[in-house]
Amino acid sequence: MKRTDVDEILRDALREDVSGAQPYLDELEDRIIVELGERRPRLRTTDWIRQLVAPTRSTRFGQLIVVGATAAAFLIVGLFASRFFEQQSELPTGGGIRLETAQEARSGLQEVLFVVPAPLAASTVVVVGDFNDWEATPLTDEDGDGIWTTTIPLSPGRYEYGYLIDGRWWGEDPRADEYIQSFGEYSSVRYVGRGGEGV
Amino acid sequence: MTRFGIRAALWAFLGLVLIGGVACATVPFSAIEEALCCIQLEQAGRILAAIQLGYGQEGFPSDDVLRLVERLVENPSSPAEKESILLILAMALEEGLPVDGLLSKAFEGLVRGVPLSQIGIGLQQRLILLTQVRDLFLDKRIFVVPSGSAQSVPSALPAPRFNELLTNIADVVGDHLEGGGSARDGHALYEEVEKRLMALQGVTLLQADVELVLDRIEPADLTRVALAAVS
Repeated sequence: MKRTDVDEILRDALREDVSGAQPYLDELEDRIIVELGERRPRLRTTDWIRQLVAPTRSTRFGQLIVVGATAAAFLIVGLFASRFFEQQSELPTGGGIRLETAQEARSGLQEVLFVVPAPLAASTVVVVGDFNDWEATPLTDEDGDGIWTTTIPLSPGRYEYGYLIDGRWWGEDPRADEYIQSFGEYSSVRYVGRGGEGV
Repeated sequence: MTRFGIRAALWAFLGLVLIGGVACATVPFSAIEEALCCIQLEQAGRILAAIQLGYGQEGFPSDDVLRLVERLVENPSSPAEKESILLILAMALEEGLPVDGLLSKAFEGLVRGVPLSQIGIGLQQRLILLTQVRDLFLDKRIFVVPSGSAQSVPSALPAPRFNELLTNIADVVGDHLEGGGSARDGHALYEEVEKRLMALQGVTLLQADVELVLDRIEPADLTRVALAAVS
């Protein structure tokens, strides 16, 4: 047998093998892709976070994402907190004057006028009450006519108070809503908000 | 943003939270303890223990307690008179009663220059009234719901709402008696309580709480409360 005949036989045999395997070779790529997809490991939560944070180490775009996400988180927390405090503010405290939220402080406060006539010789006039923890708030008489005034922002509630004119108690304010006896003398009571005039 | 940057931001945030927490913190017990050392007290242990107990109360006015002690230190009265004021406060705290009204009354007396002995008499009466009204509430099945628990029934009130009602009713009866009103005039007492609660309804009191109390309390109950305070 000549060498060329052997080559021919081998060539024919190879062609036959290749043509027989062709259907398998055609689908080989698709099968590999499907199989690899099935073998891909599932990401854990920590891996997801790591993937999210990873871009921030190298790109400005990633930094923007983190800043935006942080701002959104603060916004959401802020919204929840404000709603929480709104609900809390509906409940009065045990101290006679309810706790105020910042919103109430802006909208619920009323400027309450305190006016007292004092002798012209009076040098100091102060108002004390449960609204200022019985600490003196001074009144002024700028024109010297003996009428001393001040305004104090108060939230709605009931307040007991009186004046100290040169250290002497005077608890019968004509502007009071009612009077009570306290330590043997009158004290004034003012209602601010519902149930009272306020100013 | 580098890892260092993220850490720095976290530490800054934690720092801000810490500073905010310190700013909102109440007066420490040690500050009151220190201030009390300036007064010669025979029952210092009892008073301190009661104040420490008070710290367990929701919204305990520790700053006002410290201020009262400081005012008493400055007051020229005898240590025994100062102690009698502090003992009334201690008794209220031992009973778990709200002390805001007592403190306010004490400050009023002090700023007006009322003698401590007279302030003590006034506070003693208010303490009895607070105790009596609290017992009346319990008798009428108006309870305090434990802190953090949900309100299961309308008559189980959170402590701040319970205390607000309690303080106001004791205050009305106290004002009635101080104003020369009769302890036996239950109807007048009831009308005054009703007037006060209605005036504060929607302001510092919830409508449901006002209705609850006015529905369950009768003039005769207030007579019993007032009589206990004058007997």
